[in-house]
Amino acid sequence: MTRLVKAELYKLRTTPGPWVSVLVTILLTGLGITTAFIVGHHGVVRFTAPTTTTGLRNLVGAGYEAGVVMAPVLGVISITTEYRHRILTATLLLDPRRSQVIAAKVAASVVWGLFMSLASFAMVAAMGIPLLVAEGGSVSALAHQVAPVAPGILAAYALLAVYGMGIGTLVRNQIAGVILALGITLVLEPIIVAIFSSLAHMDVNFLPSRATEAVAGGLVPKGAGNAATTGSVLLSWWLGAIALVCWGLGTAVVGYFLTFRRDVT
Amino acid sequence: MAAVSGAARGGTIEVRGLTKRFGRIAAVNDLSFTVQPGRITGFLGPNGAGKTTTLRIVLDLVNATSGTASIGGRRYRDIPDPARAVGAVLEATNFHPSRRAYAHLRMMTIAAGIPAARIGEVLELVGLTADARRKVGGYSLGMRQRLQLAGALLGDPGVLILDEPSNGLDPQGIAWLRDFLRHLAREGRTILVSSHLLAEMAQTVDDVVIVSQGQLRVQGPLSALTARAHSAMRVRTPEPDRLAALAHRAGLVPRPLVPGTVLVDGATPEILGPLLAANQVVVYEVVQVSQDLESVFLSLTTSMSDSPAARLQAQGPAVPPAQGPWGPTTPPQPQLPPQPQWAPPAGPPAPPPPPAGPPPAGPPAQSPEQPQR
Repeated sequence: MTRLVKAELYKLRTTPGPWVSVLVTILLTGLGITTAFIVGHHGVVRFTAPTTTTGLRNLVGAGYEAGVVMAPVLGVISITTEYRHRILTATLLLDPRRSQVIAAKVAASVVWGLFMSLASFAMVAAMGIPLLVAEGGSVSALAHQVAPVAPGILAAYALLAVYGMGIGTLVRNQIAGVILALGITLVLEPIIVAIFSSLAHMDVNFLPSRATEAVAGGLVPKGAGNAATTGSVLLSWWLGAIALVCWGLGTAVVGYFLTFRRDVT
Repeated sequence: MAAVSGAARGGTIEVRGLTKRFGRIAAVNDLSFTVQPGRITGFLGPNGAGKTTTLRIVLDLVNATSGTASIGGRRYRDIPDPARAVGAVLEATNFHPSRRAYAHLRMMTIAAGIPAARIGEVLELVGLTADARRKVGGYSLGMRQRLQLAGALLGDPGVLILDEPSNGLDPQGIAWLRDFLRHLAREGRTILVSSHLLAEMAQTVDDVVIVSQGQLRVQGPLSALTARAHSAMRVRTPEPDRLAALAHRAGLVPRPLVPGTVLVDGATPEILGPLLAANQVVVYEVVQVSQDLESVFLSLTTSMSDSPAARLQAQGPAVPPAQGPWGPTTPPQPQLPPQPQWAPPAGPPAPPPPPAGPPPAGPPAQSPEQPQR
């Protein structure tokens, strides 16, 4: 199993797709960093160093949105490349135990999700800290917010990568996988949440995007939930993590039984 | 040629009662055959005969509808470290185009637990050392085939399964592959190589497994198939009965084709010419037709109902490469009146067919033959 995971990691690092995903994550993080410096104060929007807890946490977790978009993409790529370039034949000849192959891909997605997240933090360090200093902000105040925010962001990236990998296992086509993974989190889920909220007064907070918010909940000061944006209460971080794991592993397991055991012709 | 490391001994590949249905179509139908170590077995049949499906079932990539396939007594999925036991060359498209050849092999060694040092050895074996750092997307089809072969050899496996490995290879490449497979077989490995071209394989294989429409047509040593290839003379004559009787007495096997035409199996110009002259048989046309190995193959793998080639076969051997001893013979085609169907002449009883000899060339085989050994 260790060999399989190593091989999957090697596969990912010897093709451009994952690296492009990481690069886009870094660029999007740069955008997030810029946004964190745009502060509204008494109705005036200014580009200045964040000073509030929320503002500083948003700067630490400036890569959150990038991860929401790119970690599932990375996960989709990790499995659909096998179909797109017909590498699955070679993969299964090396180890015909298909469940082991899926498990190795889950593990590799977690590792790459974490790596992607670290790249995002590196961007925060490289761009956010100099900007903070230039704008007269406090680096030590920022450092105090790393511990509450970073673990949630790391976990969110890793779990979203697994979620993408599960979606990819289900649909097999790379383009369709990316569209479905992002379509669910960015388009379908807000619609479902809104419908249930307005019609049934139900708080649907276990879908992937809301679960991710819960996992990365440190971005928001404790007790505030995320009511400012959605009007609903998030799951606790560990329930969110369980929900996200279920989405990732659930789709992977369903994909395994529906498609991955099929004939490879 | 660089030596292949180790002295791998291959296991026997056993396919028993294998059937694979895709919907209502049976791609493989109750197929059974055995592939022995130390020999190169050609897995032959026309496109769509079920060769690739069979090989993929053997390699556990495709699930059989029924029947079993094993290598050394085990299913592929039950072989510990399969890459060290079995090397497979399937279609030459199983590469990420952006991955370098070395990285492709390195990925394989990591998954299979093979030392990275082996990569250089196999690259040298297949002649790709200089191109190892290039991206596979820039490789020619022949280079991809070599890279596939390099991957198959990484684990120094005792069993090699190759699906149409000569696709994309130039004549030198095919010759190289032939020598290479011979070399590997001499080391005691089991080698199963599929092709839709018997002519290409005739110089390579020891044994043949011929399939058509998912069914076994024949299995046995190539020499048994070669024995079927033979020469014959096609004679158009106004006195076919007399010619048939004369040929019969000379130990040849005359057979009617169409009215007024006799095919004399086993005859050569040197045998038939003097016979016709000595007996003053009137002939309109004499053509040498040879039932070569490819024709035997075609007759085994096509049926009357499904191919124009088969219909051609049904009228006699397909290849008339040489002309008769009288030079080009293209007389005007006389409009002969319809004649009664030629029947074997009365007279001496027909001699028994020669032992283990070729069956008469005629309508192609309609049913699978039993394994010959």
